[in-house]
Amino acid sequence: MTSYLVLLGIVVCFSAILALALNFQWGLGGMVNFGLTGFYALGAYASALLMLRAGANSFFAVLGAMAVVAAVCGLVAFITLRVTEEDYFAIVTLGVGEMLRLVALNEDWLTKGALGLTGIPRPFGDVIAPENYQYFLLALAVVLLLATLWFLNAVARSPFGRLVRAVREDDVVAATLGKNVLWVRVRIFAIGGGIIGLAGSMHGFYYQYIDPTQFSNIVLAYGFMAVIAGGRGAHRGAIFGAAAVMVLLEGSRFLKDLIPALDSDQLAAIRIIIIGVGLILLLIYRPQGFMREYRLQTELK
Amino acid sequence: MLQTTFNGIITGVIMTLPALAVTLLFGVLKFPNFAVGAMMTVAAYMAFALNAQLGWPLLPATAAAALAMGTLCIGIDHVTFKPLRERGGITLMVASLGLGFILENIARFAYGNSARSFAIELARPFRIADVRMNQEQMITLGVSTAAMILMYLLLTRSPMGRAMRAVADNPSLALVRGIESPRVIRWTWFIAGMLLAVGGVLIGMDRALEPPMGSNYLISVFAAAILGGLGSPLGAFVGALVIGVVSELSTLVVPPNYRIGVPLCAIAVILIFRPQGLFGHPYIRK
Repeated sequence: MTSYLVLLGIVVCFSAILALALNFQWGLGGMVNFGLTGFYALGAYASALLMLRAGANSFFAVLGAMAVVAAVCGLVAFITLRVTEEDYFAIVTLGVGEMLRLVALNEDWLTKGALGLTGIPRPFGDVIAPENYQYFLLALAVVLLLATLWFLNAVARSPFGRLVRAVREDDVVAATLGKNVLWVRVRIFAIGGGIIGLAGSMHGFYYQYIDPTQFSNIVLAYGFMAVIAGGRGAHRGAIFGAAAVMVLLEGSRFLKDLIPALDSDQLAAIRIIIIGVGLILLLIYRPQGFMREYRLQTELK
Repeated sequence: MLQTTFNGIITGVIMTLPALAVTLLFGVLKFPNFAVGAMMTVAAYMAFALNAQLGWPLLPATAAAALAMGTLCIGIDHVTFKPLRERGGITLMVASLGLGFILENIARFAYGNSARSFAIELARPFRIADVRMNQEQMITLGVSTAAMILMYLLLTRSPMGRAMRAVADNPSLALVRGIESPRVIRWTWFIAGMLLAVGGVLIGMDRALEPPMGSNYLISVFAAAILGGLGSPLGAFVGALVIGVVSELSTLVVPPNYRIGVPLCAIAVILIFRPQGLFGHPYIRK
């Protein structure tokens, strides 16, 4: 049971990192990312391939994966937003995400296609005894989560963070004040992308095995659910949102024991239906989520 | 080459109806609806239930599914999108994404992941000028053409069509001129639902029925609507044909697995060179 809780804790941590990334792009920056799943897969594959094919150690593999996803995200944002509006951006991210998934599925020479990549090395995997490794991974995941949180909080409270919120609220006003809106958005999306790359690498470390089926739409569904539940723009909220969603998802595994008539496809369907319904209900009845976005407070109340 | 072009035209013709639905919905409601793929899936399964399970012929089954889907869309809008109408495009897009998850997985829950097909009699393919065609493709051509003509008449000749175009063009002006936008929105959903249902059945006939069948077409359908100019019905028709033919022809040069890259590149090219699409008006933000 302890072991199960530890494993759940690790999953919650890297899901929370992913939620933080989406929260930064969408909650803080106002840019929807419907290609979340594809970018997450890109991060996982990039870090795994850097270790397996290029022989990089896990530290540089993670940095490399973050750089790759950040670069791709930045490029997508640059090409799309140079001319256009959010509506098109959502469609393009959806398409790019799907395309990335197809590359993972079809480029057998690189990604081994549907078979997936096995034997992904872990940081300090040969130093730490296997029976204790999960505790180390949990500690690492918690540290990385806190580091991400600290970094994003610092960004959100910096002058750049104010600029980001200004662009989200009204890009025309920001542009009129002489701010380069496109460049701000490209940076937001790229920073978010780097964090998605980090989450993807953690995914690889945890499972030690990645294949395209792990990167299905459920990642996208729970990412958005976590951010909406947590409150758009609120970093701590995104973490609590991710934790709540993951515990809910894990909890729904026990549904199978309760209603044995359901097969695993139906169970998977029910989970996504629950998330979809939750998403819409939250949007209608509690759009501000359960936590508040950071705002500069005055001394006087 | 000729055969591939013909197949492309059929693919394009299949997409005309959903692309028209997307463009109508965008025109009136001003956000891209990401649930259209799943709506096609659900409608196709409804037709499947009547056709393969209750033994109806496909035509009345499709008609019934279209009416049901149209009505369902009005209901969905009332429950989901109406409360969010004033919240801006991004919230509505995310809600439509959630809705898409729900609908697709209702179909998955009911019928599982395995591919199914309609109960229609198989006929031998025939050849005209070295191009192989089959009965389903002829049905597709006939049904889509009929639906497009009907839509054209509806949009240009009927009072409701004029009202829909007015609301799409300028909602506040339409309101001032006494057009009831709630009624227009209901009709738009009803018509879009019917178009999506027929589109879903055509996709199911062309390929097979499976839960992601509709969402697989999502990017292509959006690309078609964007190419034609979001909000322009004529544009949706032309855009769907172009995307269909180019996608099929692309399989001669790029691996077929990456067919989805074509609409994606098409979107990128359009956005860079002609963001308003072929038949759209330049979009001026207020």
